[in-house]
Amino acid sequence: MKISFNWLKEYIDIKLSANELQGRMTFAGIEVEGIEELGSTLKQIKIAEVVEFKKHPNADKLSVCQVNDGSSTRQVICGAPNCRNGIKVAFAGIGTKLQDLSIKKVKLRGIESFGMICSEQELGISEAHEGIMILPEDAPIGTDLASYLSIEDTCYDVEITPNRPDLLGIIGIARDLSALLELPLKIPLSKLKESNESINDQLKLENKVPKLCTRYTARMIKNVEIKASPDWLKKHLISVGLRPINNIVDITNFVMMEFGHPLHAFDHSLIKGKKIIIRKAKDKEIFPALDEENYHLEKDDIVIADTERSIALAGIIGGANSHITTKTSNIVIESANFLYSSIRKTTGRLKISTDSSYRFERDITEEAAELASKRACELILEIAGGQLLQGKLDSYPAKRESKPVTIRRSRTNKILSLDLTSEQIIKYLTSLGLTLLNSSDDEILKFDIPYYRKDLTREIDLIEEVIRLHGYNNIPTISNPKHIMNKYVFYTKRKVEDVLVNYGFSEVVNWNFGDPNDLDKLNIGKEDNRRDFAKLKNPLGESFSIMRSMLLPSLLKNALYNLNHGQKDFRLFELKKVFTRKSEKLANEKLLLSGLMIGQVDPIYWKIKPVQIDFYDVKGIVEDLLDHLNLTAVKFEKSREPYYQPGMGTEILYEGKVVARIGKIDPKIAAAFDIEIPLYSFDIELQEIFELDISRDSYYENIPKFPPVLRDISFVVAKKYNYSSIIEKIKNSGEGIISKIVLFDEFDGGKIMDGYHSLSFNLMFSSETKTLTDEYINNILKKIIKNLKDSYDAVMR
Amino acid sequence: MKEELKKVVAAAQKEIREVQTLHDLMQVKSKYTGKKSILNNFMQKISTLSQEDRPAFGQTVNTMKQQLLSLIEEQEKIIKELNYKKTLEVESLDLTLPGRKRGKGSLHPITKVWRELEDIFILMGFEVTEGPDIEDEFHNFGALNTPEDHPARELSDTFYLDDNILLRTQTSTVQIRTMEKHQVPLKIISPGSCYRNENDASHSPMFHQVEALVVDVGVSFTDLRDTLTIFVKEMFGDKIESRIRPHFFPFTEPSAEIDIICVKCYGKGCNLCGGSGWLEMGGAGMVDPAVFEKLGIDPEKFTGYAFGLGIDRIAMLKYKIPDMRLLFENDIRFLKQFK
Repeated sequence: MKISFNWLKEYIDIKLSANELQGRMTFAGIEVEGIEELGSTLKQIKIAEVVEFKKHPNADKLSVCQVNDGSSTRQVICGAPNCRNGIKVAFAGIGTKLQDLSIKKVKLRGIESFGMICSEQELGISEAHEGIMILPEDAPIGTDLASYLSIEDTCYDVEITPNRPDLLGIIGIARDLSALLELPLKIPLSKLKESNESINDQLKLENKVPKLCTRYTARMIKNVEIKASPDWLKKHLISVGLRPINNIVDITNFVMMEFGHPLHAFDHSLIKGKKIIIRKAKDKEIFPALDEENYHLEKDDIVIADTERSIALAGIIGGANSHITTKTSNIVIESANFLYSSIRKTTGRLKISTDSSYRFERDITEEAAELASKRACELILEIAGGQLLQGKLDSYPAKRESKPVTIRRSRTNKILSLDLTSEQIIKYLTSLGLTLLNSSDDEILKFDIPYYRKDLTREIDLIEEVIRLHGYNNIPTISNPKHIMNKYVFYTKRKVEDVLVNYGFSEVVNWNFGDPNDLDKLNIGKEDNRRDFAKLKNPLGESFSIMRSMLLPSLLKNALYNLNHGQKDFRLFELKKVFTRKSEKLANEKLLLSGLMIGQVDPIYWKIKPVQIDFYDVKGIVEDLLDHLNLTAVKFEKSREPYYQPGMGTEILYEGKVVARIGKIDPKIAAAFDIEIPLYSFDIELQEIFELDISRDSYYENIPKFPPVLRDISFVVAKKYNYSSIIEKIKNSGEGIISKIVLFDEFDGGKIMDGYHSLSFNLMFSSETKTLTDEYINNILKKIIKNLKDSYDAVMR
Repeated sequence: MKEELKKVVAAAQKEIREVQTLHDLMQVKSKYTGKKSILNNFMQKISTLSQEDRPAFGQTVNTMKQQLLSLIEEQEKIIKELNYKKTLEVESLDLTLPGRKRGKGSLHPITKVWRELEDIFILMGFEVTEGPDIEDEFHNFGALNTPEDHPARELSDTFYLDDNILLRTQTSTVQIRTMEKHQVPLKIISPGSCYRNENDASHSPMFHQVEALVVDVGVSFTDLRDTLTIFVKEMFGDKIESRIRPHFFPFTEPSAEIDIICVKCYGKGCNLCGGSGWLEMGGAGMVDPAVFEKLGIDPEKFTGYAFGLGIDRIAMLKYKIPDMRLLFENDIRFLKQFK
């Protein structure tokens, strides 16, 4: 629902700015979904004078005007019949954005036009589209239309929740804000002057469906003058997105926006039999509505009828056969209530929604019907003249009584975890219009509920109102996350374990006791800090006399055990703490992950020859693990570990820190552990990795819009140049568009000289900004080839 | 020239029908209908004809061309269908031959129950935290209200590194470390390794425990029972009842031991439960006010409960592992049973 800031201020003296009020409303439960500066469209429109007016040489209905908007004179083609020389008009220059069009330079029948002279409809001011808007002669040229018409306002688009039908009018919102902001509310009270003639002589009323039509009031005014509304009324409607039509219709819309209660006006002369009958529709009845549609009714729809036909679809839309026209002089003002569920059923089936049905579907109150009716009649008499007949017709079958509701202070404070006094509770609730019925009790407070808050029926409803006014965010928060648990470490450990299990590793669990002699067997140097043993005073024996500082010895023993039990192909890992201790009181405990691989790459499979594990199998797994840990920019260096076969071990560094190592166990070392077959091991320094300052999340990267281009290159190069430097060279020559480099072949021997080998790469080029042409890629390839030749003497094959 | 055209078309038709591969078909197509094809040659020769013969001849060439093109299209379908049938013949398999597998690994059964119990407690709002294995006497004994001369402190029961530094004998140490570091209220579990100086068929010098600690306003004995009941049923199934019975721990009061119905005989009595129908699972109790006082927590305002359970024992009961030594032998024939 749209509400206007200026209009709101007519009922309540708000000192806040439009933006400040938006925040307050939203936190009071009236969610502002959109906010629009009104007049921002009209601000672009300038008042201008037509200084020259000529017929278009090539079109009868068009004219060529020269228009002066104060800063310059421009040529504009106009099609309006009322355009002439010397008038003041609303001019939209090039670049102006109106509702659904933006003004551009155009050529109409061979003559250029640099803007548009607007009609009221195009400006959203009224329905008038017969001709352009002509402004009074004294309108100042060059002034923008928004300031001239003083349409400067803020329009809020608010979401009214279904429990609050009382907020479907601006007065309702003002009432809620008056409680929230502690400001007095000014509701217009209507005093009606009635003539001596009684309505009963002119109109009869019969309500055949008292369960569906819970109230129907009608008042009648004679001799009204149907014309355009005064400016103030038009402006009000425009400010909430309604279009002015004529004074009577405008007033009914105005009052609907004020009280949230829809009204309808009939032309009395068109009511046959001078009787209004509220009844169910006839099955398959066709109803011609105001919107020029014919609706097919069913027998459960409610209609307003005269003695011959339906004249309105109750609560939804009026009939084409009885509405106000320029010829109308006697009118009937309907203000009624209909069962919300019935209205909802009909609108749902007919797929129709009007400002009226929107409100009736939300169960608005019977009491407001009378207030709205009186207010409308008062305004009609003031604006359209005429005489109000004496009395009203009123069918009000059963008044809905609201029962008093009791609220307990202790219960309120318990639910809200507050410590409110009964005075505070009383202040909040009475400001909403509730009346305290017992004043002596400090704990149990009994309130009478005003007619417009039928949603308040239980204690908990009142508690909600108390906290809404007290402020949801004034509720204390007690807990903050403690971060006792390190979720990253917790789940990363699991992830790493799962990756290894998927690679065929079995997890082992060994005692954390270790044998100091194992480090001798591994040739660990005397100065190595893994020899800072955490030594037990009373161990189970020499071989359990320290807390492990490495996991590898245990894994080697597990391997031996399994080899001795006839197993030949297996992979083991252990993820555990290792311990060292120098002079500290406690030990240094850190997480380590170690793995061991023996035997074949894959389980025996009849289609392929078995392949034994080599260095690159282990390396691939470790690289994958590091990738899972978001460690990508790593460097490989020769390992200094004494237990790897010389030249067969590598350390992986991240920013100078060793994060992992991989290698083949030196056969002599393996023999010291009684193992005679090749085996490979790796360590992942998890503790070090967990302490690195690296991104732990994955983030979206744009997916290239353009298809990648694939190219292969093969060349012979000396083995002394290693792979990573060659890759680096290719990447650096690729102008940033090589997205992937894959080595797909490597061989030596044959025709290739000793000390040389052939390498074949598959290169993927992709760009985020353009389609890659062959020519472009070929040039890059040439550059790559030249750079490889210059740096590494590589010869293309 | 018309005769010539007819001959060419006839030859083309024959050639198209004899083509066997898509590649050859495309070559024939370009030979007769492409830019520099035979039929296009005829079109170029049109200028040699008289003015009135030209339209008719041109039309004939075009008609012929269309005929050849649709014949090529037909032939393409035939070849594709043949190819498809060939594929079916060639690719007929013995579907019972073994599929290609990657070697499967396994998590240790201790890790499996470890994870499961962490998840059960996380669902109940606990945070998981760990403490050091190498501890000082204060956190392992003193802060836990264990007197200086308590027999548990003896060398025969506890591994010492120095006079004051030891391998923790219980994960209860983490209770103290957490309460020292973090403000109450707290709701944590702490799984980890513990060590005791004993090694026989039913005792391992290293074993695994999970400790739970809840401290808040209004925590009661019922909360302890509820949590234990939920945990036991989540871990072992709804049939497994649990009970607590009076016991002594220096750092809880009242203290209790936790039993569950025997997972093998459901209470009838068997060799697993020694005929009692119940299995001992661990210790529990309300945190002793003396423990709170030592940590500066007001025991009048806060109450709490704690319990400790043996992870290895849970794994053995859950997976029906008959001998504790299997857990640490790391025989892959054992390990691979737990997927």
